[in-house]
Amino acid sequence: MKRIVVNTEACDGCGICQLVCSAYKAGQWHPAFARIKIKQLQEFGLNVPVVCMHCTYPPCEIFCVMNLIYKDPDTAYTLRNVERCIGCRACEIACPFSAAVWDPLNEVVVNCDLCGGTPECVNHCPTGALIFMDISEAADKKRREAAGLRILEASRGFSE
Amino acid sequence: MNDYPGKILEINLSTGSISSRAVEPDLIKQYLGGIGFNARILYDEIPVGADPLGEENVLIFAAGTLVGTPFPTASRTEASAKSPLTGQFGTSNSGAFFGTQLKTAGYDALLIKGTSQTPVYIVISDEEVQILDAAFLWGKECWETVDILEQKHYGAEIALVGPAGENLVRFASIENGRYDGWGRTGLGAVMGSKKLKAIAVKGTRGRKVHNSAALLEAVRKGQQLIKSASSYMAFTEYGTLNASIPYGKNKAISAHNFTLGTLPDWKEIGGRQIVDKYGSRHVACQSCIIACGHWAEIKEGKYAGVKVKDLEITPVMSFGATVGLNTEAIIKASEICQRYGVDMVSTGGVLGFAIELYKKGIITTEDVGFELDFGDDEAAFKLLHKIIDREGIGDILAEGTKRAAEQFANADRYAIHIKGMEIPMIDPRGRWSTWSLGMLTNIRGGDHLRCRNPVENLRYNDKDEEYMKERFGFKKPMYDRLDMPEDLKSKAIDLESDTVDIAEMSKWAEDLINLYNSVGICIRPPVMEKVGPTIIAEACRAFTGLEISAADLMESSERTWNLIKLFNLREGEEVDASKFPRRFYEEDIDGNILDEEKIQAVLEKYYQVRGWNGRTGKPDANTLDRLNLVDDLG
Repeated sequence: MKRIVVNTEACDGCGICQLVCSAYKAGQWHPAFARIKIKQLQEFGLNVPVVCMHCTYPPCEIFCVMNLIYKDPDTAYTLRNVERCIGCRACEIACPFSAAVWDPLNEVVVNCDLCGGTPECVNHCPTGALIFMDISEAADKKRREAAGLRILEASRGFSE
Repeated sequence: MNDYPGKILEINLSTGSISSRAVEPDLIKQYLGGIGFNARILYDEIPVGADPLGEENVLIFAAGTLVGTPFPTASRTEASAKSPLTGQFGTSNSGAFFGTQLKTAGYDALLIKGTSQTPVYIVISDEEVQILDAAFLWGKECWETVDILEQKHYGAEIALVGPAGENLVRFASIENGRYDGWGRTGLGAVMGSKKLKAIAVKGTRGRKVHNSAALLEAVRKGQQLIKSASSYMAFTEYGTLNASIPYGKNKAISAHNFTLGTLPDWKEIGGRQIVDKYGSRHVACQSCIIACGHWAEIKEGKYAGVKVKDLEITPVMSFGATVGLNTEAIIKASEICQRYGVDMVSTGGVLGFAIELYKKGIITTEDVGFELDFGDDEAAFKLLHKIIDREGIGDILAEGTKRAAEQFANADRYAIHIKGMEIPMIDPRGRWSTWSLGMLTNIRGGDHLRCRNPVENLRYNDKDEEYMKERFGFKKPMYDRLDMPEDLKSKAIDLESDTVDIAEMSKWAEDLINLYNSVGICIRPPVMEKVGPTIIAEACRAFTGLEISAADLMESSERTWNLIKLFNLREGEEVDASKFPRRFYEEDIDGNILDEEKIQAVLEKYYQVRGWNGRTGKPDANTLDRLNLVDDLG
């Protein structure tokens, strides 16, 4: 189960991913047409990429009155039939990550489809803030880092 | 079918009229965008002798051609008007996200004419343009104003002036959001004189590109080129501060108003390791893969809690060297400049000038109201607030060093400016290079950002006896990879003697930087070293669908430069004005001193390289004919 994993520490907010996404997905260049969004939190000095997490039990799927959102049986991506979307935007609000985005061109809500397995935003990210990797491996990597940090801190406690 | 060019939006604040028009085809082909548009439009629109702070002056913002694409560093917008500081072409360039919004709102340029009677601000949301009352914003500092406008106009990018601009401080800046700005040449005072507090732009339209796949290919190539630059890694880590220690070593920093050359603890005050101490994350402008900016925070001491996007060489040199402040005070000083909207370089220059006048006894405690000394941050900030509020002696200093020096006896010796604009950070006595000559030939006065050798080598500092050369110092592959026409390359760089010809390189560097300012990319050294006209032409072709070659681009850029020169000559620029302050020719620092005659010889060579009259520095008729500018020769 490969997903876009975000390393917020590395994101410097250049916004290349947004422009590239809009070019591939909408054929026009504008951050607003992108499925991935960079949110600048200047008060914290942070830039946070927001993109669909492809939840196992997606709230957007539950909230869609038209039943257009589904889990792909092969890839487990969260996908949608936008042709019949009525643009009520309930899924956009229901998403806890606000990762479903309004497409102003077609006036429907869309989400990241991982470009069918080769996400272009990841290919073009210059800092490595976006990584396309197995979610379990990513979690394990994180686990390893956290464990290392915990041990480091514990040993520091002993020496002081 | 593509969206290049957009429209030109024209707003007249005197009459309240708003109109937009298509860009004339001639303007596109000959001037490309950014500073090119500005030069052409201002040359036609501003009457000769217009008061820079009057109704006739025109303020223009033009985003570069490639802004709004992921071409690396394509984020920059050029703002121009007649400068209240120099009385000539005033222009300044800023990145961040303003240009992208302007472009996606459908405009390549935004033209502001006339003067409003009451404070106003402009809101642009695609075709919907409004002039709104700004009485509730007038007098507020920039960050507070941005907070309010971000609430009212969610998602808009904001250009605004602070109290300094409102009070017509002649070196006020236009701030670009909270932390960036169009700093130099006093454009903030122009905006303030128009009673225009802010411009909020939001664009919702996509940009259609002539050939998306080709553009993405050019983007990939551009990114690879920049990543292969020798200075790339250092820049991603420390940004512009890399140059700070080498300049200190060469005794070429502006220490204590250009009297010392270096400071004993310069490495601790202004060395690049201050990034490790105060910086946290990197921060990029639109589409940048270098991200030279840093979030900086002071955690303890009297300035605890100050948080800015900072740690650039400009404030470090201006406040650390010229005024002699310590690192934390430098960060605080940048905060004050950003919040009240003044240009950091000129502010440092004016403060250094005032402190030296005080030390020399030309101004006294009675004039100032308190004591002044190099390194005294509290006194410096008190004086800075007096300047921003134009209170007491601040009212005189707010006119800039050149005008202020006329108010005191024997003060002009200490006013460090060229053509009225304060000189930034680098002391040409300590290091003579293309960059130093560029300060004399600069179309906007004493400034360092319009001419720099793309392969400047800071490891060497050999001064040539005749001032004609600087050391090249790289191996042959660097020479081979440099994107420059071969005949020009062999003229500008001599591998045998390992030197760069300063006059030849100045012209190339100026045209190259001018090209960057036209297409809207950044002049950070990794870009300058690698991104030449060839790759820019490739990206421009893919984006616009116009058949543009690298040579066309360079010619367009040269045309813009010559047109700005004509603007300046029309406004009365004299050939003698291209001189360093007397101090550089008469006072030495550890034996380093400039020779006026030899510099004049280099300057004359430069004029000839440009196709200008060697003696008067005016463009020759046949040069103007070649550039289709002959009709503009008044």
